[in-house]
Amino acid sequence: MARASIEVRDLVVRYGSVVAVRGVTFTVAAGEHLTLLGPSGCGKTTTLRAIAGLEKPTAGEIRIGGAPVFSSSSPAVNIPAERRGLSMVFQSYAIWPHMSVFDNVAYGLRVRKRPEAEVTTRVREALDLVQLGELGTRSASKLSGGQQQRVALARAFVFSPSVLLFDEPLSNLDAKLRAEMRVELKELQRRLDITSVYVTHDLEEALAISDRIVVMRDGVIEQIGSPAEIYDRPRNTFVADFVGSANLIRGRRRADLERDGLVVIQTHGGALVHGTAPGRAAGDEVLMAIRTVRLRLERARPATPFNVWPARIRQRVFQGDFTQYHVDWDGRVLIVRVAAPDPLAEGDEVFVSADPRYCVLLEE
Amino acid sequence: MLVLYPIAYLIQASLSVGDPQARPPEAYGLDNYTGLGRYAHIFGNTLLVAALATMLAVVVGFAMGWILSRTNVPGRAAFEQLMALPYYVTPLMGALAWALIASPNSGFVNQIWRALGGSDHLVDINTPWGIAWVMALFEGSVAFVMIGAVMKSMDPAMEEASQVLGAGRVRTMLRITLPLVLPGVLGAAVFVFAEMLGSFSAALVLGLPNRFYVVTTAMYQLVSQYPPRFPTAAAMGVSLFAVMFAMVWIYRRIVSSGTYVTITGRAFRPRAMDVGGLRWPFLGVCVAYLAVAVILPVLTITYASFQHLTTAFPRAANFTLVNYETALSLDAVRSALGNSLLLGLATASVGVVLMGFLSWLIYRSRLPGAGVIEYLLMFPQAVPRLVFAFGMLWAWLIFPIPIYGTLWLLLIVYLTVFLPLGFRTISGVILQIDRSLEECAQMCGATWGYRLRTVTMPLLKPGLIAAWLLLFIASVRELGASILLMGPKAKVITPAIVESWFSTSTELTAAMALLQTLAVVAALVLLFAVARRAVQPGGE
Repeated sequence: MARASIEVRDLVVRYGSVVAVRGVTFTVAAGEHLTLLGPSGCGKTTTLRAIAGLEKPTAGEIRIGGAPVFSSSSPAVNIPAERRGLSMVFQSYAIWPHMSVFDNVAYGLRVRKRPEAEVTTRVREALDLVQLGELGTRSASKLSGGQQQRVALARAFVFSPSVLLFDEPLSNLDAKLRAEMRVELKELQRRLDITSVYVTHDLEEALAISDRIVVMRDGVIEQIGSPAEIYDRPRNTFVADFVGSANLIRGRRRADLERDGLVVIQTHGGALVHGTAPGRAAGDEVLMAIRTVRLRLERARPATPFNVWPARIRQRVFQGDFTQYHVDWDGRVLIVRVAAPDPLAEGDEVFVSADPRYCVLLEE
Repeated sequence: MLVLYPIAYLIQASLSVGDPQARPPEAYGLDNYTGLGRYAHIFGNTLLVAALATMLAVVVGFAMGWILSRTNVPGRAAFEQLMALPYYVTPLMGALAWALIASPNSGFVNQIWRALGGSDHLVDINTPWGIAWVMALFEGSVAFVMIGAVMKSMDPAMEEASQVLGAGRVRTMLRITLPLVLPGVLGAAVFVFAEMLGSFSAALVLGLPNRFYVVTTAMYQLVSQYPPRFPTAAAMGVSLFAVMFAMVWIYRRIVSSGTYVTITGRAFRPRAMDVGGLRWPFLGVCVAYLAVAVILPVLTITYASFQHLTTAFPRAANFTLVNYETALSLDAVRSALGNSLLLGLATASVGVVLMGFLSWLIYRSRLPGAGVIEYLLMFPQAVPRLVFAFGMLWAWLIFPIPIYGTLWLLLIVYLTVFLPLGFRTISGVILQIDRSLEECAQMCGATWGYRLRTVTMPLLKPGLIAAWLLLFIASVRELGASILLMGPKAKVITPAIVESWFSTSTELTAAMALLQTLAVVAALVLLFAVARRAVQPGGE
C-alpha cells in the first residue's frame, strides 16, 4: 500500500470567536503511527478533522505525501475531503444502518468503480482480517458495538487509503473490549503498514499503539515524543499530570551539589533529590516529577549513595494489580504504587528510594 | 420573504384610515385600532371560548397523559396510538357532527329528550360552551401529546424516592409528580390557548347560527360582507396576532427556562404505577374520550349522510343514497374535490423538496444566520391561518402576476402556512442522522451527489414520506386560509363543505365530509401501492 507522510504547519482553526487550534506544527513520517493525546476540548479532534478535510482551517498548511491539500497562503489550496485519498474511523462508527455489512465495507471500492469481482474479493479479505468473515450479509443495524467497530475498521482500510485517521475509535466500547481491541488494532496497523493518525484521551491507548505521541492542551502542543519519553520525561506539570499519576516535588536548585550530569534540588523540608533535566532550562525554584510506580519502598535502607529517604506508611489501598501506599515524607504525602504483594502495614517505618533517571525536572 | 410579505401588508392595511378600497392607503392612523372598542364583546367571546376550551383540553390531556404514561391501565400502547385519531377527525368534522347531535332544535339528543316528554331543549351546542367543547375534544389530543411527553421524561426514581420515604401514592402524586410536571402542563396550556384563539372552523359552524362571533369569524364576516371592511378586519387580525405572538413567546420561555430539569439524557426504565382496581375506571375514561371525540362524530356523520332528513330515530324509508348521488353529480363538488387532491399532491411534493432543502441548509450547512431563518420559518405557527390568509389576500391582490383566485395562490399559501409542520417533521429526522454518517461517505471518497444518493436520501426516506403524508392530509383539509382565498373558478373541498352546510342540506354536507375523508384515504392507499411497485424492481 502507498504510504504517505503528513506535514501540518502553523495550523489555526477558529469557530467565530473561539479558537480551537492555535498554531500547531508536527509531521508524521510515512508509515508512522502518531497519536494526538489530550483532554476534551484540547483541539485534537479538530486537528484530525482539519487533516481529513472535514474542517476548514483558518490558517496554516497541510501537506499529504508532500503535496499541499490545504494552504491559507497563496496560492490558497483546499482540496475537499473526498479527494484527499485518506480514510477515517469515526468515534460513532458511522455504520450506515440501511446497508448490509458487505455494502458498508464495499462502499469505498464502489465509489472508486472497481469491478464487482474485485470488490467481492477485497471486502471478503477485509472482513476476514477483522474477524467478521461470516457476517457479510447481516444487516448493519443488527450488530453489537464491538462488531460495528470492526466493520468501521474494515470499511476504512479496504480501499487502500494512503493515510488512516482514527477519531477516538474505542471510546464507546466497554473497558474489557477496549483492551482487546487495542491489541488487535496494533496488530492490524502492523499488517497494513500504513500511516496513521490516532486521536484519544486515553493514555494507555496512546502508549500502546503509537510510535510517537503529541500531547495537546487548549489548542497548542505541550510535548511531542515517543511513548516512553512522554511517560518518563514529561516536559511540564500538565503532561506529568495528564499522562498517568506523578508526584510533584517543589524545591530550590542546589547547583553546588550537582555532578555527573545530574541536577539536585532541595525541598523546603530539607530533603535532597537528585534527578535529570533532559535539555531543559530551569530557574532557581523548580518542580520535579516522579511517577508513582518509579518509587520503591523497602524496610531496610538500600545501598545507594543518594535519593534514599526515611518515611512512614500512612495508608494502604489495595487495588488488585497494585497496592497504593500513601507515605509521610518530608512533611507531605507521596503516593507510591507497588505491583508486588507486599507485607507493609500502615504505620510501618520504611525507606523510599528513586532512580535519578526517573526524577525529571519540569519546565514549569 | 414568503412569510413576512403578507404580514407587512396586513399591518399596512390595519393602519389605513382613508377610503377602505384605496390601494395603497391614502392616509395612515390608528383609528382602526381605537375603533375596535366597538368589538370588545367579540374579543370577550374569543377569550371566553378559548379559556373554557383550554381548561377542558388540559384537563383531558393531563388525565390521559397520566393514565397512559404512568399507570398500568390495560392496552396502554394501543391507546397511545389511538390518541392521534382526534387530531385527524379535525374540528370541522367534529363541529358538523356535534351540531347534528346537540343543536337546540333538531339535535339528536334534544329530539330524544322531547320524545321522552321533555320540553324545549336539553343541550345547546350553539353556545360558547358548545364551541369550547368541540374545540377541546380536538385539542385534547394535542395537550395529551405535550403533557404525556413531559410525564414520560420524568425519572421514576423521583417518585420512588418519595414512596421509600413513606409517602403514599396520593401524596406522591400531589407533592412530587404534579409540581415536577407543572411547567410542562403550563406550557401545554399556553400553547393550546394560543391555538384556540386562532381557531376558526368550530366557531364558524356552531357560532354563526346564533350570531356568536369570535375574532376569526368576525374577521371573515367583515371581509366577505359587502362592502368589505378590510382595514377593520386587518386591525382585528393584527391584534389577535399580537396576542398569539405573546402567547407563543411565553410558551417558549416556559419550555426553555426548564425550572425543574426532569430530562436527564440518562436512560431510565419507564415504570408504570400499579393502580389496582382503579385500572378499569381509568380504561373507561380513555374509551369515553375516544368515543366522544372520534367514534360518535364519525358515526353521526355517516348516519346522517345516508338519510333523507336526519332524525334520531332510524326508519327504513328514510335511508337513501341520494346524498352521495347528488354530491358526486354536482360539478362543483367534483371539481372542488379534484382541485383539493391536486393541490394536496402539489403542496406535499413541492413542500417536501423545499422544506427538506431548508432543513438541510439550517442544520447541515453552518450557514451564518441559520438560527434567524429557523425562527422565521416557525413564524406562521404564531399566526392564525385566517389572519395569514387575509394578509396574503391583501398582498397578492396587487401582485403583478394575476394569480389571485387561482389554485396557484392557494398552493403558495399552503406552502407558507404548513412550513412549520413540514420543517419540523423533516428536521426531526435530519437531527437524528448523525453527521458522521455523511462525513464517513465523504472520507470514503464519495462526491456530493453520490453521498446524497447513497447515504443521505435513503436515511431520510422515512421522514420525507411522513412529511409528505402530513402535508397532503393537512392541505386537503385546510379551511381557514382557503375560505378567504379560493376563487369562484377554483374551489377546494373544505370551504365547499362549509358553504353547503349553510346553504344546502345537512345530509348532503355530511355526505361531502365523508367523501372528503374517503378520498384522502383512497388517495393515500393508491399512492402507497404505486410507490411500492415503483420501488420493488429497483432491488434495494
